[in-house]
Amino acid sequence: MGEVIVITSGKGGVGKTTTTANIGIGLSKLGKKVIVIDTDLGLRNLDVVMGLENRIVYNLVDVIEGNCRLKQALIKDKRFPELYLLPSAQTRDKTSVSPEQMKKLVSDLKDEFDFILLDCPAGIEQGFQNAIAGAHRAIVVTTPEVSAIRDADRIIGLLEKSGIRKNELIINRIRTDMVKRGDMMSVDDVSEILAVDLLGVIPDDEYVVIATNQGEPVVGEECLSGQCYEKICRRLLGEDIPVTDFSHSGGFLDKISSLFHRN
Amino acid sequence: MSVRSVHIAKERLKTLLVSDRLQCTPDMADRLSSDLYNTVAKYMEIRPEVFNIEITRTDIHIRYTGESN
Repeated sequence: MGEVIVITSGKGGVGKTTTTANIGIGLSKLGKKVIVIDTDLGLRNLDVVMGLENRIVYNLVDVIEGNCRLKQALIKDKRFPELYLLPSAQTRDKTSVSPEQMKKLVSDLKDEFDFILLDCPAGIEQGFQNAIAGAHRAIVVTTPEVSAIRDADRIIGLLEKSGIRKNELIINRIRTDMVKRGDMMSVDDVSEILAVDLLGVIPDDEYVVIATNQGEPVVGEECLSGQCYEKICRRLLGEDIPVTDFSHSGGFLDKISSLFHRN
Repeated sequence: MSVRSVHIAKERLKTLLVSDRLQCTPDMADRLSSDLYNTVAKYMEIRPEVFNIEITRTDIHIRYTGESN
């Protein structure tokens, strides 16, 4: 039976889609059969981040409306073992799908996949309700900013209210230099305020921008963010790996590695 | 040196979260806290320094740290 995880945040632009793509790819590299679903109707992005935008024929709404069979709409990412994308519809709006329809779609996929990852749109309206409908577990992405944390708190409240109790946090775009000089909330500050389990921390890394430009993942690559995404995937598979909190500069090896990856 | 911005961020965030969680204005949250304090003070001898109210997503915790000097 597959695990259904929604990746959500409330606020836009904190890294939900990048996180969905990298966790999906990372889990597939670790031997799991994974499907990532873009639930942001009208603002299709996950395909672009994954570099699969030229392969779309059918989409989520086509499946729901019965214009195609589910299998026809799934895009297999040939670069990785057993990774599939169900893209969103660019020209439809969030009312084209209901939470019940999403629930059914997800349960149709459960038998076939180890992991079903749902990339949730920003906001708390119907798009959010659709995305969480079939999920029994959530990853809440935030950045160390007042607005993003406020929205994350709201989202966690709404998830708990809808009966999703396994909510874990990813803190994205942490900058060690700013945390050290007292100009950015630390991992401890954020996780204490939100009071949910910490799944991982991703440092602010220009490598993510470069990889996204190219439609490539960072997970598993030699850069810091890539290593952190891989650790998140391993934690999802039950490995006990301590979280690096980036509150102080890393050791000698980290410094060498960051020099090496500057270009 | 002025106050580091992280302290300001945390203070602002705490106020915001309390009013979000209670669905009220920051001013009402303050009044709730002082009403709770006054209610407890009717029955116990307390001082503001040893009295703490924490509002989480699901609970309101009233913590009384007892007789310390």
